[in-house]
Amino acid sequence: MASNILDNIDLRTLGELLQQARKKCGMTQDDAAKVIDASRTTMVAIEKGERRLKPTELIKLARAYKRSVSDFVRPRPVAQPFEVQFRAAMKRSGEEEEQIKPAILRLEELCQNYLELEGIMDAPLPQNYPREYEVTDMPIELVAESIAVAERQRIGLGDGPIPLLRDILEQDVGLRIFYLEMPPKYSGIYSYDERLGGCIAINGKHLEERRRWSLAHEYLHFLAHRRKPVFDFDNQYQRIPESEQLANAFPKYFLMPTSGLLKRFNDMYRTHGKFTPTNLFTLAHYYGVSVEALVYRLEEMKLLPSGTWERLRDRGLKVRKVQQELGLEEIPQRTDMTPLHYQHLAIEALDQGLITEGRFADFLNVDRLEARRIANALREHSSGIMEEATHFDLRQVQE
Amino acid sequence: MQIAHSHVVLDACCILNLCASGQMLAILKSIPAQVVVTQVVQDYELNTLQRLDKEDNEGAIQFETAIAQGLLKVVDFESEEEAESFVNYAAVLGDDGESATCAIAIHRGWAIATDDKAAISFFQQGAPYLQVISTLEIIKHWSEEAGIDSSALRDTLNEIRVKGRYMPHKSHSLRNWWEAAMNRS
Repeated sequence: MASNILDNIDLRTLGELLQQARKKCGMTQDDAAKVIDASRTTMVAIEKGERRLKPTELIKLARAYKRSVSDFVRPRPVAQPFEVQFRAAMKRSGEEEEQIKPAILRLEELCQNYLELEGIMDAPLPQNYPREYEVTDMPIELVAESIAVAERQRIGLGDGPIPLLRDILEQDVGLRIFYLEMPPKYSGIYSYDERLGGCIAINGKHLEERRRWSLAHEYLHFLAHRRKPVFDFDNQYQRIPESEQLANAFPKYFLMPTSGLLKRFNDMYRTHGKFTPTNLFTLAHYYGVSVEALVYRLEEMKLLPSGTWERLRDRGLKVRKVQQELGLEEIPQRTDMTPLHYQHLAIEALDQGLITEGRFADFLNVDRLEARRIANALREHSSGIMEEATHFDLRQVQE
Repeated sequence: MQIAHSHVVLDACCILNLCASGQMLAILKSIPAQVVVTQVVQDYELNTLQRLDKEDNEGAIQFETAIAQGLLKVVDFESEEEAESFVNYAAVLGDDGESATCAIAIHRGWAIATDDKAAISFFQQGAPYLQVISTLEIIKHWSEEAGIDSSALRDTLNEIRVKGRYMPHKSHSLRNWWEAAMNRS
């Protein structure tokens, strides 16, 4: 069935994984040594990859660290550790390091899973990446708008709203986008690796308008600062660097392109002879942005007088209440932690018997019961065709 | 259902289905072999079982009662060889529960009860001489042995479908039996 894995495994990698797991659960090398009835020096040698482990020792350590044995011995695709990528960014941010690190490591794990699923299914994620945009020493607003226009044209988005931004960036560009839990002040994480490509995590706890804005922000990092990993949080900079200024400017042009917005504003204005708060709310909902973001955009376009947002706010405007009164439904959204393509690879692998149900649950980060619910939902989603029936090639079907 | 081995090892899928059935103890009693589960599966799946029935936690209670009454024995690795096979299988399957189930069954010459396609194919490749049985075979056997009437059988299968979220694959050998039992009034 399998040759003896512990005789052939890279002991250094195994040692590093064991060390990470031990530290994560707060154990010392002394504690770990006691688990396997060995001395601390033996434990040091194991973690350095200088001493071979017996299977029973590995099992005891995995149990003590509350981890699966397969976490240590399963072959995994090699990518640059995110901890290394983000080292400089984390050093700069001091106390934030501890807050954001779990989300960064989670993103890394999910991206690794994604590559593993692609390998199992022999179906790499199709990438439609543009060349990195050259932005050095250029006027920020002009560059932001020009990249937004170019990208809309490249992906074929016209100048209308982008209803399911996440799905478009995942499927039409080939980014790996996850919605993760993060502390409230964090909006997103961006990373790039030659094997993984662009990887983004968005704070899943934020409202959809804000998630879309953050996604566009991180997308700009991919377009213009591809190899510079970042994480973004409120009030991050005393003096905002140009790269962040550009990423801050990009979402409004990408989500609300000038030509389309101008046309829709004029249509509303001509129809009603005025532009009312109801029009404002309807238009914000149409573009999937916050009312505040739309007002600022219209102010910049000189379509509304400056200070409109502050006046509305001073009058006690309650955005959620008005949205409810106007019957504006929630913006279409998909809030799953993992990308659609990732989920489809996982269900195909399960149905083809390439992974177990337990592994499927791990890939989706849920327990077995929830995994069964998701599996049934995904199968139903495949146009009601069940199980093997979804795996044939429609182009090969003869009449 | 005949079991050609002294013991049968239930995997996590099967345990989950039996706990969801609401009839776990009676079903285990009807199995003509000593039923066991691995320590690894017990450690990993107890939390899932506690989610089966949020109000009275019936799934987990049945599981623990079955162990207390000796209807279900918990087994762990007893030799370096078993542990070695477990680690080797875990590297291939990426699933500790299935790997432990397979390692113990293969080393001790026991049957395995599972509904997991990947685990079945792995097990049959490594030990084609050992018997693999499914949740539905166990339920069918219980219903025949204990003379369960059609409405009680339907309720049991329905509990597995609703609480355990399990329904057999279209190509399952007992799919027609399951459909007929589910539709019987």
